[in-house]
Amino acid sequence: MKQLLYIAIVLIGLSACQKVIDINLNNAAKKYVIEGGVTDQINGIGVRISQTMDFSEDNTFEGVSGATVIITSDNATEYVLQETASPGVYATTGFKGRIGQTYSMYVQIGADTFRAVSTMPNEVYFDSLGLENRVVFGETRRVPTVYYSDPQGKGNAYHFVEWHNGVQERTIFVRNDENTDGRSLSIQLVSFSSDSDNDEKKIKTGDTITIEMQCIDQTVYKYWYSLDAGATGEGQSATPANPVTNITGGALGYFSAHSVQRRTIIAD
Amino acid sequence: MSKTLIIVCCVLLSCLGAIAQAKFTISGTIRSRKTGETIIGATVHVAGQSIGTVSNEYGFYSLTLPSGTYVIEFSTVGLQPVQEEIVLTQHTTRNIALEDASRSLKSVTITAAGKQRNLNTPQMGMEQLTTKEMKNIPVLLGEKDVLKTIQLLPGIKSAGDGNSGFYVRGGAADQNLILLDEAPVYNASHLFGFFSTFNSDAIKDVTVYKGGMPAQYGGRLSSVLDIKMNDGNNQDYNVSGGIGLISSKVNIEGPLQKDKSSFLVSGRRTYVDLFLRLSNDSSIRNNSLYFYDLNAKLNYQLGKRDRLFASGYFGADNLVVGNNFGLKWGNGTGTLRWNHIYSSKMFSNTSLIFSNYNYKINVKSGANDVNIFSQIRDWNLKEELQYYISQRHNLRIGFNTIYHTMRPGEITSSQLSNFNSSRLQQRYSWENAVYISDVWKATDKLDLLYGARLTAFSILGEGDFFNIDKDGQILDTLHYKSGEFVKTYVNLEPRLAISYQLTDISSVKASYARNVQNLHLISNSTSSSPTDRWVASTNIIKPEISDQVSLGYYKNLYGSKYELTVETYYKTMLHQIDYRDGADVLNNDAIETQLLFGKGRAYGIEWLIKKKTGRVTGWVSYTLSKTQRKIDGINNGNWYNARQDRTHDVAVVGMYQLNEKWSLSASWVYYTGDAVTFPSGKYLINNVVYYYYTERNGYRMPAYHRLDLGATKQLRKHGRYSSELAFSLYNAYGRENAYTITFRQSKEDPNKTEAVRTSLFRFVPSISYNFKF
Repeated sequence: MKQLLYIAIVLIGLSACQKVIDINLNNAAKKYVIEGGVTDQINGIGVRISQTMDFSEDNTFEGVSGATVIITSDNATEYVLQETASPGVYATTGFKGRIGQTYSMYVQIGADTFRAVSTMPNEVYFDSLGLENRVVFGETRRVPTVYYSDPQGKGNAYHFVEWHNGVQERTIFVRNDENTDGRSLSIQLVSFSSDSDNDEKKIKTGDTITIEMQCIDQTVYKYWYSLDAGATGEGQSATPANPVTNITGGALGYFSAHSVQRRTIIAD
Repeated sequence: MSKTLIIVCCVLLSCLGAIAQAKFTISGTIRSRKTGETIIGATVHVAGQSIGTVSNEYGFYSLTLPSGTYVIEFSTVGLQPVQEEIVLTQHTTRNIALEDASRSLKSVTITAAGKQRNLNTPQMGMEQLTTKEMKNIPVLLGEKDVLKTIQLLPGIKSAGDGNSGFYVRGGAADQNLILLDEAPVYNASHLFGFFSTFNSDAIKDVTVYKGGMPAQYGGRLSSVLDIKMNDGNNQDYNVSGGIGLISSKVNIEGPLQKDKSSFLVSGRRTYVDLFLRLSNDSSIRNNSLYFYDLNAKLNYQLGKRDRLFASGYFGADNLVVGNNFGLKWGNGTGTLRWNHIYSSKMFSNTSLIFSNYNYKINVKSGANDVNIFSQIRDWNLKEELQYYISQRHNLRIGFNTIYHTMRPGEITSSQLSNFNSSRLQQRYSWENAVYISDVWKATDKLDLLYGARLTAFSILGEGDFFNIDKDGQILDTLHYKSGEFVKTYVNLEPRLAISYQLTDISSVKASYARNVQNLHLISNSTSSSPTDRWVASTNIIKPEISDQVSLGYYKNLYGSKYELTVETYYKTMLHQIDYRDGADVLNNDAIETQLLFGKGRAYGIEWLIKKKTGRVTGWVSYTLSKTQRKIDGINNGNWYNARQDRTHDVAVVGMYQLNEKWSLSASWVYYTGDAVTFPSGKYLINNVVYYYYTERNGYRMPAYHRLDLGATKQLRKHGRYSSELAFSLYNAYGRENAYTITFRQSKEDPNKTEAVRTSLFRFVPSISYNFKF
């Protein structure tokens, strides 16, 4: 809606002005941030653990070492993840998750324990990737468009990640089938992140676009949806808030068991 | 002391005398001679005595006096008072026409205005504005605006730039009952809130109640904004209009039959879209944005006792962005009214009211062509009897029944599109109220307004209702058949107001009011949006209830040149609504699962010094206040500041009549920034920075202040044709007030995070040409 308001302002001949300002924000006690994933790809089981940072700190990933990380599937296979050469990144090699399986994550850091459960949903086939024209920020742009058919029956949810010439797009693309159940879909992935109006973000001839489609479960959908609605810092919501996580024990982040499909296109 | 004693004795004697004598009633209608418009709130005063009354909302007055000869003065602000000698030996009808106060008669105007303020009416927390008073106050793009102007009054706070929402005494923006000729207006803003839906040319009177609402009003917690349209000139044809930078308007009125009936049609339209079409750039040319308003009214006098009115409003906004997106929204209202004078003491009004708000979104992309439609519609019947029992009692009795239909969202889409056609459940409810109130002049100094409103809000089938647990999970679904009663909420709303006149120039007042609200606006956005969703109470969403006590002190200073008002209030609110973290309120049948409930409290003190006469007029208002909420699930269940909590709020408004031609005006506002939620940390997810929040509304926006300037030049008159040029400069010193503060990874160095302030309007000049003939 904020986008519409800005459009309205421009259309009546006024202008909004933006300025970087100094702001005095409190520093809060650190919290653990856990990103846990089980995918259907080989070596697809991994967990990244970090902490919240103060606003003024650099945006670099500072891993938390020395955690115990165990992922268990519902047929009782237990994977004990080992910390890799990168601190805070825990993985196991040679394994992959399976569709339909429910996975449990157990993380212990010192005296704190965190648990989460996620089920890898049935995979919906990622038919194809294309580029469609669309007016964005007052000009026609080429927008990545994904095509797939949602199966009958509500409950499917999707998360898309975009790379433009190898650079990951920050916008969260997450969809469910509440209003699109059973349809054959063409979904334009329009970027609205704070840097989307940069010229280099426009898709030009020869650019490589890769989209990863993840079929996610409902709790993970809720996570991405609420992360997008409340925690991107973009101020669309009157009540910004931490996202709704499926991790218990008081950590930020999520644990997602999902299938992965990628499609790549070169803009002509 | 001895003086008081004498007065008391006189009062007692006059009471005794009154009992012995026969009494008769003088009644009638007070109008403007020039336009035939009835005058609301005109003072009827018996010369030399402290006896009087005021005309009602249809200009009717009734005063019962012992038989005798009286000089009665009829007066109102801006018109010349009339004194009539009346020999009262039987019930008498006397219709009064007041002349325009011409410029040379300044002294007369002063006397009239001096008497305007009634220190002894018990009503408090009320502000009244006429369009004349609003006329000179500078506003954005020169569009005179009721909603913007009332925000300069104490206790009424602007919701910010680009937002016509307002907060009254700590209430939320949806807790204001906005009535246009008695019809509720559900979305009073155009262009996302830059302008209100009220075309000031068509408006006769604006009254806002911040507390102690009379019993005839109900349905919202915080305030009543009662806007009445002009009836239309029944003496002569009139055309007036204005040509501005972004819109033009025209107002035509005149008699159908002189003295008996009249019509009024008033229209306004913006025309930025016409310029956009001239652009060479197709991405601009394909955009469109406009709104229009149409007000119309007819009234007909049927004999001496009956009068019929039909009035209507229709307005809509249309926004089209390229070939992809369209959003249309608008209100329509219609009111049919019948005034009947049963006797010189009994006035009746019956109203049949229709009210509608809807929006329609169209989204096109590729093969997609999707429409989303939402609507709220009311049918409303009201009957009110005003019974002027005696000089001391004035009774109002009435009932009100409203049938609400809500269609929260319906999706229709083309065969090939992404979306299934679907609809959220329609909701039906039936709201009934009966009320009684009495204005009792207990003594010459003590006046009371007391009454009660009994409301019953019934939720009707057909539909599914839910039981949910404390985490918002649906436990079970209850199905109700068409017409079946799901639940009825019955509430009694007592209302009481007392005034006591301390001296000739000062008084104290106290009031208590309970209000109940059964329609709630669910919005999760920082700016008011046409797609904000109204929901009725359900089995889970309880009626919001507020109790407000207030106390006030009123004094006229320097021979009534200045008015001082100080009011303080304390208000508690039950069943307030807030959102769960990550709530999705638009696309959800069981909206209750997305909400949290709790209570609120608000208190504050308001000062107002007003100068109503002389070459310099204006006011200074200051409000010191606090507004908090306590909701389980937010901030660990502790009290926290509501978004609209603003410690300080100041407005200074000045108007200066430089000479016959030029009038100048300025207004300056200052207020503490809103309570907002900012992050207290950040973290990385999927290599992107997100923000970590520890507390709802724990921070403040920077303080807001702004100066607006205005100047109006009267141009030379040519016969009947008069015209003026109005200039205004909004935000004259270019303060960059924060509309939002957002957070992002720096564009130069993505390793750093920065805060970005967006401000909307700096130095917005405007010019408009207004004419009348």
